[in-house]
Amino acid sequence: MTTRRRSPYPYWFVLPAAVVFVTLFLVPTVASFWFSLTRWDLFEAEFIGLENYRQFFREPFLVQGLVNTLIYAVVTSGAKSVLGLLLAVLLTSGIWFQGFLRSVVFFPVLVSTIGIGIAFAALMHPTRGAINLALAAIGIEGPAWLSDPALALYSVALIDIWKGVGLATLIYIAGLAAISPDYYEAARIDGATAWQRFWRVTVPLVRPATVTVVTLSLIGGLRSFDIIWATTRGGPGFASDVLASVIYKQYQAGFYGLSTAGNVILFLLIGVIVLPMTWGCSKREVDVGACAAMAPVAA
Amino acid sequence: MIFILPFVYILLMAVKTKQEAALFLFAWPSEWRAWENLVEVVQTRNYMLLLAYFNSTVITLGAVTLLVIFGAMVGYVLQRRRSPWNRVVYVFLLIGLMVPPAVVPTIWVLQNLGLFKTIHGMILIQVAYGLSFAVLLYRSFIASIPRALDEAAIIDGARPWQVFFRVILPLLKPVTVTLIVVQSVAIFNDFTNPLYYLPGRENVTVQLTLFNFQSQFQSQYNLLFMNILLVTIPPLLVFVFCNRQIVAGMTSGGVKG
Amino acid sequence: MSSVVLSDLCKSFGAIDVIRGVDLVIEPGEFCVFVGPSGCGKSTLLRLIAGLEEATSGTIRIDGKDVTDAEPSARGIAMVFQNYALYPHLTVRDNIGFGLSLARRPKAEIRARVEAAAEALQLTHLLDRKPKELSGGQRQRVAIGRAIVRDPKVFLFDEPLSNLDAALRAQMRIELSDLHRKLGATMIYVTHDQVEAMTMADKIVVLNGGRIEQVGSPITLYDTPASPFVAGFIGSPRMNLYDGRAVGESCATYGIRPEHLKLTDMAPRWRGTVRHVERLGADTVIHLDVPDLGDMVVRADGDRNPPIGSMLGISPLPGREHRFP
Repeated sequence: MTTRRRSPYPYWFVLPAAVVFVTLFLVPTVASFWFSLTRWDLFEAEFIGLENYRQFFREPFLVQGLVNTLIYAVVTSGAKSVLGLLLAVLLTSGIWFQGFLRSVVFFPVLVSTIGIGIAFAALMHPTRGAINLALAAIGIEGPAWLSDPALALYSVALIDIWKGVGLATLIYIAGLAAISPDYYEAARIDGATAWQRFWRVTVPLVRPATVTVVTLSLIGGLRSFDIIWATTRGGPGFASDVLASVIYKQYQAGFYGLSTAGNVILFLLIGVIVLPMTWGCSKREVDVGACAAMAPVAA
Repeated sequence: MIFILPFVYILLMAVKTKQEAALFLFAWPSEWRAWENLVEVVQTRNYMLLLAYFNSTVITLGAVTLLVIFGAMVGYVLQRRRSPWNRVVYVFLLIGLMVPPAVVPTIWVLQNLGLFKTIHGMILIQVAYGLSFAVLLYRSFIASIPRALDEAAIIDGARPWQVFFRVILPLLKPVTVTLIVVQSVAIFNDFTNPLYYLPGRENVTVQLTLFNFQSQFQSQYNLLFMNILLVTIPPLLVFVFCNRQIVAGMTSGGVKG
Repeated sequence: MSSVVLSDLCKSFGAIDVIRGVDLVIEPGEFCVFVGPSGCGKSTLLRLIAGLEEATSGTIRIDGKDVTDAEPSARGIAMVFQNYALYPHLTVRDNIGFGLSLARRPKAEIRARVEAAAEALQLTHLLDRKPKELSGGQRQRVAIGRAIVRDPKVFLFDEPLSNLDAALRAQMRIELSDLHRKLGATMIYVTHDQVEAMTMADKIVVLNGGRIEQVGSPITLYDTPASPFVAGFIGSPRMNLYDGRAVGESCATYGIRPEHLKLTDMAPRWRGTVRHVERLGADTVIHLDVPDLGDMVVRADGDRNPPIGSMLGISPLPGREHRFP
């Protein structure tokens, strides 16, 4: 059949958006696979095969960046989902100032990451920071949060959790609201304790929200850059370097090919970890788009 | 308490004297120097903060405007017109949502187009990165608008663009407000992308000033924190006035189950 | 007043043929109703006439002009949708005047025409309200107003009453018939409700599986249905239909309407056990079990109330039986 009349939904509606998206997102993404195989100064690219990747996995500090990325993503997303669910249960239980408390928990999500980072860098100062002074007051000697190589990554993760848990809480609150109270009443009649109701009713039924929270915070964690840059710049040494900060450092140093190889590794990492999850969640009729919808804010 | 104290700390630090702030103490300032600090921060480096506010505002307004129009148009056609391409487009949208941008190749593309280190280049970058979210948000909302409305308008003699701009777009208002709020906060707070694509003093954005001042104000923490305070005000205003839209946007569809 | 002529019209969605060769003439000024079960293609046929779907083959003529490939707005039609499809963000005034404003008519003219239409439909006091502030019946009138104001050659209605409650539906049926008489315009009306078809139509088109089963006036369809399908679809309670051999006839299908059966003890043709009785007041509908035939429905006088399980004799009224080859 030939189309004799024009559709009321013309394709030119898509054109301007498609041009911007393709040139500024898709083309660079596809090009990165080629440039990661070159020695590159932005003008000339010399093909060197897998040399960049070989170098990447040879340098211990670059490998550490990769490992750190994984640790960071798992720690932050795990903590955000657990704390988010607990806070959500707490904030839907009808305690005082519920609405106000929800706002308070959520507000850090909207605040500049850099600002938060700087403020916490001061709060976490080993000798003069408020956190350690407070700990000292109750007789605990606080650690050197950001300057101890063994601790720096986790301290940054802690700040990230503090800032991002509000989003997880919000998503869980919406998820809890979607559970019909009938289930709780039925469980009560069946004689379930509060603890059993939480494990047997709440946890399984907020699963869609859990998938959303884990997916979002994993993506955010894997891509994380600003908070690390604002607090430790990957230091001390390379102790808290992640892929995103490695990419930036190599870029600053002029190793464009190597930087791009880091970028490709980050794509692949996200693809391998997150794609199977979104696939699973689309099968359960959850809007995949919304699953990852808040990536721009969470990142 | 854990969630409020850091903000109190920022506030206190911002109004202290230079000497007191350098102590990092969580203590009441002996001298209330809010105005002096404010003036000093604004005047630093030739009023750089004002320039930064201007740049950030231009980028945010420009990018959000384009995102609303482009996102709604694409979401509309994608939802209304069934075609085998839809699946492909959908996959690209998901990629756009999840995959981080390839920075150096993007700089290369921007340079070739003469958009590197320009404000309009930055706007288009933000549009490209925010488009997936906008399209998916609009698409799911448009699914709830009956097709009979389009058809009624067509029978009333509307051209395709009239159907869209006179019937559909006005009906998208709730979701548009959500998108505007969420994306303006995200773009205003964005640090990474201006860092890469918008280097140079005259292009500085608000988040970059923080970063620049961090090294410059080593000994003047009161000014640094005053700057943080100033940067926090726009999202705070958005938060106070648009709490509901934010909540709607962040949870939209994600937990339909 | 305009005629609508469809010749050998076909429509397929992919591999599925929804309309399979429809030939139909609708005379100027006629009130024509398309009926049929869901999925019979009646709505698609209406949308083809409106231009909302493109014909796969065949032609559509309105007022003698071939409009098969014309844009919907160029066909001289107006349409009233099932859910009214009022623009939620516009007032009643702007809803009715939307088409005129798209056509860039002068403001004064739009105003005058909108107010005239509103007057005719008793909507004047509602002109500045939004659709969500109106009741179902009022929305229905606005949708009709939006159609009237375009001064179309042909009005199209797509199940316009299906969202109204029973009382309002009866009232709107009368209003629509009045409107038709007043305007004298050609109207095409799609419904799955045979009562609407019977009460409003000049001409009923019964559709089944994308084809026309029968075209005719309501009484023609009632008295002389062309097929068991039409016979079963028109009339309520529906006609009793049996295999010809089972009732000892040579035809393939034998049919008799419940109102054309009488209860009698004088040499009845069949005897059946009463299974269920519906007393409607004016009539009593009796469901019987007849050996070898199964269910038989009889419409009897309102004062009949046979006990369940009793045995009754039944005979058809002479000349009212239908035999389908």
